[in-house]
Amino acid sequence: MVVLREGMCPGLDEDLLRDLRAADIKTVEDLVSSDIEGLAQKCSVSYKALFAIRRVLLAQHTAFPVSGADLYEELLSSTAILSTGNPSLDKLLDSGLYTGEITELSGGPGSGKSQVCFGVAVHISYQLKQSVIYIDTTGGLAASRLLQMLQAETSNTEEQMEALQRIHVFRLFDVYALLGCLYSLRSGGLQQASVGGGSVKAVIVDSVSAVISPLLGGKQNEGMSLMIQVAGVLKTMAKDFNVAALVTNHVTRSGSGEVQPGLGVSWSHIPRTRILLERVEKAAAVSRPSLRSAKLIKSSRQPCHIKEEFDLQWWSRSEKGSSGKRKLDETDS
Amino acid sequence: MQTYGQEGALNTDTELSHVLHDSKHQAAFYVEENKPQDLLRSFISETGLSEEEAVEVLKAVKGGGGGGSGDFSASLTALELLQKEEELRSIVTFSSQLDESLGGGIPVGKITEVCGVPGIGKTQLCLQLAVDVQVPQCFGGVEGQVMFIDTEGSFLLQRVTDIAAAAVRHCSLLAEDDEQRAATETFTVETVLSNIFLVRCHDHVELLAELHLLPDFLSQHPKIRLLVIDSVAFPFRLLFDELSQRTRLLNGVGQQLITMAINYNISVVITNQMTTRIRDGQSHIVPALGECWGHAPTIRLLLQWEGSRRLATIFKSPCHMETMVQYQITPEGFRDADQSEMPQSKQPRMDTDQSAADPKETSS
Repeated sequence: MVVLREGMCPGLDEDLLRDLRAADIKTVEDLVSSDIEGLAQKCSVSYKALFAIRRVLLAQHTAFPVSGADLYEELLSSTAILSTGNPSLDKLLDSGLYTGEITELSGGPGSGKSQVCFGVAVHISYQLKQSVIYIDTTGGLAASRLLQMLQAETSNTEEQMEALQRIHVFRLFDVYALLGCLYSLRSGGLQQASVGGGSVKAVIVDSVSAVISPLLGGKQNEGMSLMIQVAGVLKTMAKDFNVAALVTNHVTRSGSGEVQPGLGVSWSHIPRTRILLERVEKAAAVSRPSLRSAKLIKSSRQPCHIKEEFDLQWWSRSEKGSSGKRKLDETDS
Repeated sequence: MQTYGQEGALNTDTELSHVLHDSKHQAAFYVEENKPQDLLRSFISETGLSEEEAVEVLKAVKGGGGGGSGDFSASLTALELLQKEEELRSIVTFSSQLDESLGGGIPVGKITEVCGVPGIGKTQLCLQLAVDVQVPQCFGGVEGQVMFIDTEGSFLLQRVTDIAAAAVRHCSLLAEDDEQRAATETFTVETVLSNIFLVRCHDHVELLAELHLLPDFLSQHPKIRLLVIDSVAFPFRLLFDELSQRTRLLNGVGQQLITMAINYNISVVITNQMTTRIRDGQSHIVPALGECWGHAPTIRLLLQWEGSRRLATIFKSPCHMETMVQYQITPEGFRDADQSEMPQSKQPRMDTDQSAADPKETSS
């Protein structure tokens, strides 16, 4: 939506602008969708002049068709596939997170969403040497766990610290703060983050449902529009800056007791790829409580409903068995 | 968009806030952000304000709109976050096993939820923590005050005095150097009781109102390091015809709590009840308030019976493995379990020695 301004196109002068305002035509959209004939009478300008203005404005604000070949060329040159660092998840995602797209992880409490996010952040910052923006809306980000994952990768303290510095954390707890942050990232913040070490390759929002769900439900319409705004800015940011957006979502149960991602149907169109994480509830899993299953429930590349099992301990794999806890103690002391 | 509207209303008159509220204008101004002169001019002509006023309003919308967070400098690197985390001490539970599996105790700056069936010891753990948070710093404690929101009427002063007396006795036995001896003189049952702020909330409206007012109280009492809500389930399980409304309110509560936990460096401990869910024809006992609420706490502790043993399980945590430890409730409070098999006189002290010493080691 762009406000009509003087000098935007030939013929749109101050007097005409005032007349248009009087007729409640303020934005380009208003003008384009108005009834030109009636408007010409109201503002006492010629129909022809208004028609010309409309054509110029339309041409200025339209989207251009791009040929498939050009698009493919661009795709090859600009899209990157970021590995999550975990082979099972990479298999589900067709080798990793694609830049320019939104990928969603959903799952119940303790299903490992945040752990996967940590793993991705660590992998991108340490292995790929690129920056990551981590927006934490639940207070669930534990830097000690990030360090623990890095310690599994390298024993060089300096490299660990460098990798930690490439992860930029925002801690925001309401949707307005989230929107403000995303808008400012889109209007220049992302380049700013790139200074000092690789460019930003991923934006992680953990979790998007935590800030939106307090506004949904009942007869609240505002929440819905805010949700779509968040989605819109995430999408354009992912595309414009070629970053991979990874968001997490909670789950709800449908009437038949089946688990499905939260935030409803409108949100379900937003992420390009969706993965549902669950605990493995089998007899074999008792000895390994960190075992999780991941199911692909929406994808434009792979057949849906493929299922993979993976172990949350993968990211701290250098020491097997009771490693996780032991290592945390080491970092503490 | 609401914040921008409010921001405008704060600074100027209501007419202007209407203009700002109009999402059309909002979007238009965002698009044109990179042309400040044009923006200013159109804004002035649009609202009929003086130039000075217009500049002020735009500043408010741009800077304050995102709660100050839109600015990139508001972010931390993970390294800075790590340093922050290491500065914050945890609150010991007086059960060395549980402390060890939690990496030093109940963490500050996070929400910890304690779930369990009636009589398992949820309230006992809360009372224990209310005392433990006041352990002087030279003993490895946090030396803070506590805000206790009681919704079930289960706050028993008699138990608090018992637990406090045990903790005070324990510290005085531990005191070695002058600093610690001096600290024990001020760490008495009376001071422990005077550092507990108790609020009794009878229903969810009172609880929500209290949570809204709490940030002010916390800024007036900067020494508060622990907020206990015992329990969050009780007021919300009553009288809700519409489940979606309950979920919405609860999600809001969760976000409010984590905001306070981080902004004021407090540990938030809440208790939750259990409920039965039928799945695949079998009944399971799961924490109440629904699956959605499960995302709110950072750490979830499940207390349960196994025969006559009491077990505590960490079953959700971003930085701990799933672990299970045994504990018991003694007249002195929440303690490790294995002491019952040991000679009674010596063991309790040994165990608690360890738990009190743990955070000291980590901080050094």
